[in-house]
Amino acid sequence: MSANAAAARRRYWILAVLSPLTLLALWALVTAQGLATPMILPSPLAVLASLGDMVGHGYSGVDLATHVLASLRRVGIAFCGGALLGTVLGLLRGRVAEIDALFLVPSELVRPIPPLGLIPLFILWFGIGEASKILLIFLSVFLIAMVNAQAGARACSLDALRAARSMGASRVQAFRFVVLPSALPQIMTGLRVAMGTALTILVAAELLGGDRGLGFLILDASSFFRTTYVFAGIVLVGLIGLASDRAIALLGRRIVHWEGKR
Amino acid sequence: MTGAYTEEPPAGRIAIAGGAIRLGGGAAAFEVVRDIDLAIPPRQFVCLLGPSGCGKSTLLGALAGHLALARGSLALDGEPVAGPHPERGIVFQQHTLLPWRRVLDNVAFGPKMRGVPRAERLAQAREFLALVGLADFADRYPSELSGGMQQRVEIARVLINQPRVLLMDEPFGALDAQTRLMMQEVLLDIWTRLPTTVVFVTHDIDEALFLGDRVLVMSARPGRILEDIPLAFPRPRGRDLVTDPDFVALKRRCLDLLRPRDGRPPLPRLTPLGLPLAGAA
Ligand SMILES: Nc1ncnc2c1ncn2[C@@H]1O[C@H](COP(=O)(O)OP(=O)(O)O)[C@@H](O)[C@H]1O
Ligand SMILES: [Mg+2]
Repeated sequence: MSANAAAARRRYWILAVLSPLTLLALWALVTAQGLATPMILPSPLAVLASLGDMVGHGYSGVDLATHVLASLRRVGIAFCGGALLGTVLGLLRGRVAEIDALFLVPSELVRPIPPLGLIPLFILWFGIGEASKILLIFLSVFLIAMVNAQAGARACSLDALRAARSMGASRVQAFRFVVLPSALPQIMTGLRVAMGTALTILVAAELLGGDRGLGFLILDASSFFRTTYVFAGIVLVGLIGLASDRAIALLGRRIVHWEGKR
Repeated sequence: MTGAYTEEPPAGRIAIAGGAIRLGGGAAAFEVVRDIDLAIPPRQFVCLLGPSGCGKSTLLGALAGHLALARGSLALDGEPVAGPHPERGIVFQQHTLLPWRRVLDNVAFGPKMRGVPRAERLAQAREFLALVGLADFADRYPSELSGGMQQRVEIARVLINQPRVLLMDEPFGALDAQTRLMMQEVLLDIWTRLPTTVVFVTHDIDEALFLGDRVLVMSARPGRILEDIPLAFPRPRGRDLVTDPDFVALKRRCLDLLRPRDGRPPLPRLTPLGLPLAGAA
């Protein structure tokens, strides 16, 4: 790496670290100045204290780790299932006109419906247990993954496909060795977006009753005006979001190592 | 001939009779090329010359088996062409190398599709990379190569399938003039060592005359073969061929054939102020 690139990289990281620290400082300043009542905006230290309390004593009789794991499990199952099914179906839709025709109207009918609007329906159909929560997240992830995989499946040129066929690739081989890898950059981008959405839906899905999960924790705390706990829960969801996004981005750069070098 | 081809492939004789190709669907469908009657003997180097949009790529697509004829017949060594096959390899203007695979793996693509074991196909790929002069670039990625090198890899990955016919669609059209001349010589050098029929599409008259045993000049739409010009220049050919009086005479002939001749008067000259004035000559 040249000295110039190293300097640019250092600058990047300094900014990336400074920006959240600045926000934190602003938050601390606003609360220290008494510009907002603690009920509306508690100080960072108070939030940290509540977080510490939950780490030590749990929340509403349940370990904090149990809350976190319950949420991660829901998101994990729904995300993996939705990403896999959505990607496979999207790739097929992008390449097989008949399959696209089959799914076009149903998926475009469902896609504009806000998932939260489906909550009452899901309760009716699947009850208020795990199934409703997981299926609601699954649906959002599935739709996002499908749209991106479909667009990605059209990324490879006609010439590239024809060249592969002329080198002896069967239709299935051309799909496996040309279409799929060409679609990967867009698939990975779709998965990042889907993960963000999945966490959003998670908090709302945990509205559907139950007594554990970060969404439950946030909603429960807010109904008792325990604002510091609400904030602590939000911070935890945010950290999970940050970590999962970075993980997918890193994985994407590993898998799609050729991107940007063409 | 090098040892690169393990066995002498069968001839590579192309025969088209009354060929026509339609493109577009429904009411918009039209005949892009028609009345193609053509016999190409094995190992001949044929250049297809014509104005842009006259249907050269379309005709080549039919030879490759990517497009079907609307009328007529097309056969290779007596077998009707139905669909793409490695015996008819194709090289496009833009390389189609897989950016996520090393150069060596790109060249080994065809054997991999046929299920040739890894060690064997990589050994073959090295041999063909050496044939195009890129033995030292096996472990690079395509993006790390120049345009000319990318096209050489493309040629190697087609030749590894030991095609009877090599189809090339303006393969050097995107290269700079210098590289283009160099690639023409590289191609001739490779071709003299391999028993392959070549159909080479170009709109560059010099390129067609320099490379071919024969030039087929096509008309603008609907594409038809206007003239079949045999080229008797001895091989190996050097660059000074382009100043040979016979070469210059054929070049003039091709220029004449390619000039638009659809009965319309020539376009009026522009005045220095823009569009020609009405009534002004
Ligand atoms: N898929 C297609 N559908 C309809 N028209 C096409 C299609 N592909 C090419 N054409 C038209 O057919 C004509 C011949 O195209 P092409 O064979 O690419 O010409 P060339 O290679 O000689 O420049 C052009 O007028 C082009 O616009
Ligand atoms: Mg063309």
